[in-house]
Amino acid sequence: MIPRSAPAGSPGAGSLLPEALTARIERRLPPGRSPALTPRLFAALVVGKAAGAVTRRLGRGGGTSLPGMLARRIDPDILDNVVRAAGMPVVVITGSNGKTTTGRFAAALLRAEGIAVGNNAAGANLVQGVTSLAVRYADLRGRLPEGVLVAEVDEGALRQVVPELAPRAVLVLDLFRDQLDRFGELHAVADAIESVARSLPSEAAWIVNADDPLVASLAPERAGRRVTFGFELDRSTDRITRAADTIRCPRCRSELVYSHVYLSHMGAYGCPGCGLTRPPIDVAVTALNSAGIGETRLTVRLPSTELELRVPQSGVHIAYDVAAALAVLVGLGIDPVHAPAAFAAVGPAFGRLELVQAGDRRIILGFVKNPTSYNTTLRALASEGEPRQLLIAASNTSVDGEDFAWLWDVDFESAAPRVERVTVSGTRADELANRLKYAGVDPSVITIVAERRAALEAALAGVEPGGRLTILAGYTPTIELREEMRHHGWVGRLWEA
Amino acid sequence: MAERCPASPFPPLRIAHLYSSLLNVAGDGGNVIAVERRLGWRGIPVEIVPVELGQTPDLATFDMVFIQGGQDVEMAVAARDLQCKAPSLREAADQGVVIFAVCAGLQLLGHRYIPSVGVAMEGIGVLDLETRGGPQRFMQHAACEVRFGDQTETVVGFENHSGLTELGPAARPFGRVVAGAGNNGADRTEGAVRDNVYATYFHGPVLPKNPWLTDQLIRIALERKVGGRIDLPPIDDALEHRAHGVALTKALRNRGRRTALEPARLVRGEPKTA
Repeated sequence: MIPRSAPAGSPGAGSLLPEALTARIERRLPPGRSPALTPRLFAALVVGKAAGAVTRRLGRGGGTSLPGMLARRIDPDILDNVVRAAGMPVVVITGSNGKTTTGRFAAALLRAEGIAVGNNAAGANLVQGVTSLAVRYADLRGRLPEGVLVAEVDEGALRQVVPELAPRAVLVLDLFRDQLDRFGELHAVADAIESVARSLPSEAAWIVNADDPLVASLAPERAGRRVTFGFELDRSTDRITRAADTIRCPRCRSELVYSHVYLSHMGAYGCPGCGLTRPPIDVAVTALNSAGIGETRLTVRLPSTELELRVPQSGVHIAYDVAAALAVLVGLGIDPVHAPAAFAAVGPAFGRLELVQAGDRRIILGFVKNPTSYNTTLRALASEGEPRQLLIAASNTSVDGEDFAWLWDVDFESAAPRVERVTVSGTRADELANRLKYAGVDPSVITIVAERRAALEAALAGVEPGGRLTILAGYTPTIELREEMRHHGWVGRLWEA
Repeated sequence: MAERCPASPFPPLRIAHLYSSLLNVAGDGGNVIAVERRLGWRGIPVEIVPVELGQTPDLATFDMVFIQGGQDVEMAVAARDLQCKAPSLREAADQGVVIFAVCAGLQLLGHRYIPSVGVAMEGIGVLDLETRGGPQRFMQHAACEVRFGDQTETVVGFENHSGLTELGPAARPFGRVVAGAGNNGADRTEGAVRDNVYATYFHGPVLPKNPWLTDQLIRIALERKVGGRIDLPPIDDALEHRAHGVALTKALRNRGRRTALEPARLVRGEPKTA
């Protein structure tokens, strides 16, 4: 059931791989074994698959969490049996920002090399979502097809999920202050990731962002395979702002000195206190050209080669995701020979500055969830003179969190002068509207419309034909607004995106 | 030493923002934004000076001083540095400078913070209070009643702390808990006050959605500066009141519960609090 796509650039090749490549994959990634099929596992698979099929047919959220939840209720060991015990090769992607995009990139790269991939592309990254992934791709005997599972896993779910997956590679993208009310403090998240690192066998690849001081210094004593990625640009692409989390040395707490700042607290750093330096970079972005919304051009140096890439997505963060995905292939020992073609075909994940044609108007849909994702999105929009007509939404749900204090760390101030009209929606519209007022948006251009359908209508009504509406929204409101757009036929279903 | 003031009814207000990058954890920088904007909307000039590690300006020359929340590691760094700023900060407090402290700021203005594990951090004793690490984290919307002169209003915010604070006789509570845990989840006190030093556990950030409180702090700082009574021109606070109302509803809905949220899933095996 895992879609097996042809190697990019070899039309009509079907699923037949060049023999040399097949041999290489089998050497690196031996296929999984069949799990012991117990009645309980069988029942869990049947119920999970049925739930997935029914919810997909009903259009209820794409069946991303429910199948896993039901299947685990019947057989709590389902993930462990189907994935770990069967020896299925798994890549775990975690971190605060970029999990979904990086997962899509890694999946595209693997598929381009002729490797079948299952991945939780819709961003369902808690234990239920990861279980859904296994339920969906396994057959009724619990056998997964030959290939790789690329699983994005929420930082908070790592400790539970990783032992059941026994991943071949764990990628840590970055650590930002994301949903602090849920995780307590950033360092607790770091501790959780560190304990996962220690539990990994030494042959598993530990892939970390060299530019994020906290991530790069995780589990220093771990012996085993490590791959680093980062930027080697001779200019800064950001400056230290309010949203920067880790600007102190994770080892001695001295203030770090940056020769270049690339994105929030990520950059080329050193510690004057204890001499901590950025580790050598295995997969390095050496040139970067962001051409507004829609395209990024970059050069990436791998241990074996150098790649010139064009990616149809925008923002400095995209370059980190590109490098991270390439580092996954390096970690698995696979040459990303078809990388340029693979990246060229990966459009934005749902809501990551997705361009939507809405009748005679266009929508730029930006999914934002913390100060850093907001700031990177606002910066990408600024290069296009946006946002002018804005629909902005925040809701407190168990996914989006309860405390929206972090909105005050977002640099709305720099966007405020461009905003001509803004519709504020979601269950925390009040907090957002007040934040925008204090950022310098004139209250007379702020309209609060809590209900999403009315908000979308009101926001679009203010846009001239041919004009653009920018939408910035948290996880739940993005899904809800996208659902509205789907009713209009402007976008496909979420899990088709 | 208080600065000599011009005769204008609204002289420029000088604000020291202590550890603006180190202690900035829960959007508390919004408190400074709120004061800055509400002064700006009224045409009152304002100068905001970040005061970071190693810097020891004369804090008594400022009109307002902000010291806000931070994570434990950052707080430990600030605690050591604060000892160097302590004489200046004590003098500022004695002279009636408006000092506004949140969470870690509150704890560090007290005598000491004794965590459940690890070594105690010495505070600077500007406020007569002491804090001990508690067994659980209070994370919830909260509300308290705050009194300035003959006015009492409800102040709303978001708590996120595990410290249990006890006030000594020389500090009075900033507010009386209506919903939430306040200083310790037991005696219904929230925050602490002495002279013009105001300390609270409320994040949110607290000032943008409590414009009444913000204006009280501004008024006190201005009145002290000009040496007479000041009536601040009113501002259309419709959006602020709306944000306040929603936060109050959330706080009241949580009343009687220890936490509004699931316990952090990172800490497995801990007893669930309902």
